[in-house]
Amino acid sequence: MMRLPALLLVMTTPVWANTPQQILDTLVQEARQAQPGFTASVARGEQFYRAKHTGGKEADSCVSCHTDNPKAEGKHIKTHKTIEPLAPVANKQRFTDPAHVEKWFRRNCREVLGRVCTPQEKADFTAYVLSVK
Amino acid sequence: MDVNVRNLSVLVAAVVLASVWIGQGQADNEVVFPMPPGPMYVKECGSCHTAYAPGLLPARSWQKMMDELDNHFGEDASLEEPERLAILRWLTDYAADSPNANMLMRRIAASIPRGAQPQRITETPLFKHQHDEVPAHIWKRPKIGSKANCGACHTRANEGRYPEREVRIPR
Repeated sequence: MMRLPALLLVMTTPVWANTPQQILDTLVQEARQAQPGFTASVARGEQFYRAKHTGGKEADSCVSCHTDNPKAEGKHIKTHKTIEPLAPVANKQRFTDPAHVEKWFRRNCREVLGRVCTPQEKADFTAYVLSVK
Repeated sequence: MDVNVRNLSVLVAAVVLASVWIGQGQADNEVVFPMPPGPMYVKECGSCHTAYAPGLLPARSWQKMMDELDNHFGEDASLEEPERLAILRWLTDYAADSPNANMLMRRIAASIPRGAQPQRITETPLFKHQHDEVPAHIWKRPKIGSKANCGACHTRANEGRYPEREVRIPR
């Protein structure tokens, strides 16, 4: 009885095993709805990843927690907990679950930029992190 | 008194029962908390910090925390409603003052004033008592850095295990 809600949740949550490329393709399509003809740029994504942003809270950059190397382990700036590498080349779990990707864009864009990220920013960011070899 | 099979077997049975009883006593004293089943709890509550055992706080603390996830110690930790409710249920089911509480959890619950809803585990009386021998400079080591970083020293904290013999303090 106690476990029923959790069980229902597991049963009703679709587990879409996506490839990182499929997730990037979806983000690019969303960006094209906002800006027809958009193509994702690794260079713009890297610039966004490394930039110091304003409007957020304690972390002002992706680098604050994920370090300047997306293949490296990161560290949460407040709790100091280890964060697994962001780049799929170093961590096969990354960019395989669209809901997980959306959740972390929502949380981290609010933390670092104080707003939601645009579809173009999300596509560029993902293109960069996927390009890291 | 004659030594015969009957009173010898009574003696053996008594020794066996006593050792089982002592063995369970030690297990009770171990700092081990029940954890929610499956991967979701650690995935959702263990990304930014240790997946703290629900038994570290009373249910009323978790209720308040799960009502304020969009401002969780200053960060946005909001969840979709089905996940939020499932996690709140686990937190309540395994809370320090839940019917499932072990002796240690009941001690934690008893140490917290009735009206209080502490949010930081590090501010609860039992945490302070258990860590009072750790000097300030140890907490500042780069691999520890924060009292919230249980897993830095308690190597199996994500499994609810905090026994002293499993502590490894990083240099």
